Amino acid sequence: MRYDCVIIGGGLSGLTCGIRLAEKGARCAVISTGMSALHFSSGSIDLFGNEGEGKIVFRPFEYLEKFIGSNPLHPYARCGSSRVREALFYFRDQLDLEDIDLYNNDDANHFHVTTLGTLKPTFFSQRSVFNEKIRLAFEKKSKIAALNFEGYRDFYPELAVINLKRNVLFRNIEISSGKILYPDYGDPQRNPFEYRSIDIARIFDTERYLEDLAAQIRTAAGDAAFAAMPAFLGITNFKRHHQLLQQLTGLLIYEIPTLPPSILGMRIDNALKSRFAALGGVYIAGDTVRGGTIAGGRLESVFTENGGSSALYAGSFVLASGSFFSGGLVSEFSRVREPVFGLRVYSHAERSKWHAQEFFPRNGHPFLEFGVETDERFNPLTDDGQRLGNLYCTGALLPHYNPIREGSGGGVAVSTGYRAAELILAGNR
Amino acid sequence: MIKLENISFDHCIKCTVCTIYCPVARATHHFPGPKQSGPDMERLRIKSPGLLDDSLKYCTNCKRCEIACPSNVKIADLIQSSKWRYFRKAFRVRDFFLARTDLMGGVATRASFLVNFFIKLFPVKFFLDRFMKIPSERRFPRYAQGTFRAWYKKHRKEQEAFAEKAVYFHGCYVNYNNHDLGKDVVTVLNAMNVGVIVTDEKCCGVPLIANGYIDKARKNALFNIESLARSASESGARIVSASSSCSFALKHEYPNLLELDNSAIFDGLDYITRFIHERFEKGNVPAMGPVPVRAAYHSPCHLERMGGVMNTIEVLKKIPGLELTILHSECCGIAGTYGFKKEYYKVAQKVGDELFKRIERANPEIVITDCETCKWQIEMSTPYRVEHPVTVLARAIDGKKL
Ligand SMILES: Cc1cc2nc3c(=O)[nH]c(=O)nc-3n(C[C@H](O)[C@H](O)[C@H](O)COP(=O)(O)OP(=O)(O)OC[C@H]3O[C@@H](n4cnc5c(N)ncnc54)[C@H](O)[C@@H]3O)c2cc1C
Ligand code: SF4
Ligand code: SF4
Repeated sequence: MRYDCVIIGGGLSGLTCGIRLAEKGARCAVISTGMSALHFSSGSIDLFGNEGEGKIVFRPFEYLEKFIGSNPLHPYARCGSSRVREALFYFRDQLDLEDIDLYNNDDANHFHVTTLGTLKPTFFSQRSVFNEKIRLAFEKKSKIAALNFEGYRDFYPELAVINLKRNVLFRNIEISSGKILYPDYGDPQRNPFEYRSIDIARIFDTERYLEDLAAQIRTAAGDAAFAAMPAFLGITNFKRHHQLLQQLTGLLIYEIPTLPPSILGMRIDNALKSRFAALGGVYIAGDTVRGGTIAGGRLESVFTENGGSSALYAGSFVLASGSFFSGGLVSEFSRVREPVFGLRVYSHAERSKWHAQEFFPRNGHPFLEFGVETDERFNPLTDDGQRLGNLYCTGALLPHYNPIREGSGGGVAVSTGYRAAELILAGNR
Repeated sequence: MIKLENISFDHCIKCTVCTIYCPVARATHHFPGPKQSGPDMERLRIKSPGLLDDSLKYCTNCKRCEIACPSNVKIADLIQSSKWRYFRKAFRVRDFFLARTDLMGGVATRASFLVNFFIKLFPVKFFLDRFMKIPSERRFPRYAQGTFRAWYKKHRKEQEAFAEKAVYFHGCYVNYNNHDLGKDVVTVLNAMNVGVIVTDEKCCGVPLIANGYIDKARKNALFNIESLARSASESGARIVSASSSCSFALKHEYPNLLELDNSAIFDGLDYITRFIHERFEKGNVPAMGPVPVRAAYHSPCHLERMGGVMNTIEVLKKIPGLELTILHSECCGIAGTYGFKKEYYKVAQKVGDELFKRIERANPEIVITDCETCKWQIEMSTPYRVEHPVTVLARAIDGKKL
């Protein structure tokens, strides 16, 4: 089988790249072992949130201008800050076509509330997490009600409230907590403590309980202006549900991302796949690329677990297989390796230096900065030093950035995926 | 003893992504979902089979959980193998007959008109429902008179005369129910200058596996591996199957679930649209006339699992005049013999509901799909006729009416 471009890994980075290529008429296939890190993410796209040592970045593009100069190996430096901006807004426009509005606070970061009730600076959020009305209500210090579904165990509003109250921004804001009973709660077939966000979203999707729920929310919220609830509005019809529920309750309904699986992240996953398919892209799910044929500094084809001997040929390839979490990188006792092509990896030789002593170190663990070493065109080297000119590495697979310390994971995945597409398109012209 | 090579459940990071994408967990609260029935419970089952929770019987083996899992856990394989590893076998007449597609077919095709007539009668339906627990709502596929193999025998000579040949695993459905599909395969391959070889074969084993007859499934598998490998190496041919579930079994269930070595056929075996598409790409496209039909394409679960959907779509796109809507991938619910069982019938229909709605919205004249049981399910549950992609291709080639 022959394509213009084969992309290995269908996460944020691979799909952004695929959408850009397909939009420009390239015949593209994405192959992905399983679902991506989006299923575990908050669904907000971080650009650059922290300078390190707990210092927050408020204006990420301004910050990048100077940061890039002193960090030339950082993926953002290799894209260039104007291209990072171009990529992010391209991404927003593509999601808009799939009916997801991403809000940004102009050029500034905004905060979203995490499951634990901490605040995280981020760049893009969905409408139910950030918008103008939410900003205004927050500035007016309106009262917030943190509500939960009875029996739902992936969100604890009491804990969230305690943490929020510790934050200076919430010092003078009144926050209450309360519970809502799902009409299905009494279902004897099902232990309600097995409910996950997706179960709630599905019951909600039927719209059968909307009015009943709205009445409960109104009562539980009392005189609050906001009802903050675990993300539950569904994966496809969330926009309509959000509007309806706001109308019925007269409140601002605010979604808080829950423990995985994350509804907010799945919405983005769903939208990206649907956009890619609409542009004619081929998405091959549940298959793993095992290796490839290299000749004369080029990757000629790749073969997969299911395909056996029948290979996939392409002019260009993109490796967007993620970090350790997704299997893009593998750690063995004394080394870190890239399992598909055995590409050259940046890491520490000494295992004891891979991680910090604490579980949640402020500056993130060093292993998060490991990854496949590339040149400025994102082309990698094989283990024996051969540069592969038609293979581009993007996203969480890349080294020299720390998504946790910097709060930059989503932005790096989007901008490097986009950049690889631009390089491929320029090469073909 | 815990087999060390069989601990993929240990790679599970408990993310629940599999359960989100399980169509049965979506349809019924009685099924706790792949995470719990697979990797979670496997830990307990290997310690003590007494800890077996029989709700895992709800699993249809559609494999959608495996496609979703980020950690490559063979969830459905874990669940399927538990069905026969840990359950005490109680003989069930119904399951015995549902599993023996070749035995039933062999008998029924001798007097197909009688069987087709009787199976529709109310007293028969009542009996099946009450005593056999086969729901009276379920429509049965019709049996053909005689077998496909008997037809093929008369044409063997001309097929062997082709320089390039393909070994065709026809499966029970073509042999006993739908000879026309087998003939369409011959029409299409011949038009591409490929002769069709039919060799000895037994039921691929899908219904046997689903009903827990593992020893019998293994026996059939060994027979098929040996027979297909021999025939393919004699004629230097590739092996094709036009049933997505037979192909999936031959290629993936044999090694993963039955733990048999199928390397002798693994690389040479294609689901038919991959075989056709690869030749199309090399320029071997037969002359085709227009098939002016509005069709909706449904991708079967097992073809999804094999990563073969794009081949069918690419091949269909080559047919002039065909107006094609690709339906969002959903499970139809029947899962082979699952939808024939009274205790699962309602679940099967609820699983399929989303697909049926999408078909209706697409407003097609016909539905196209690669799997015979999906065809039965869609034809029973919607007003649309269902055709195999190879049949549509054959009509483009021979110009007959679809
Ligand atoms: C738990 C978690 C939460 C996060 N939360 C946020 C957040 O809230 N905001 C934010 O901006 N960023 C967040 N990030 C960071 C950011 O989401 C990720 O860095 C980004 O999604 C990575 O995208 P990717 O496409 O590079 O890789 P991934 O999303 O990891 O995707 C890689 C894909 O490649 C597939 N794959 C791997 N190997 C192969 C192979 N050999 N063949 C075929 N397929 C293969 C995998 O199955 C996977 O689907 C989070 C990351 C994690 C892990
Ligand atoms: S998707 Fe895979 S890793 Fe996640 S819970 Fe299911 S089996 Fe475990
Ligand atoms: S094989 Fe299908 S029915 Fe069974 S657990 Fe997996 S997704 Fe659910």
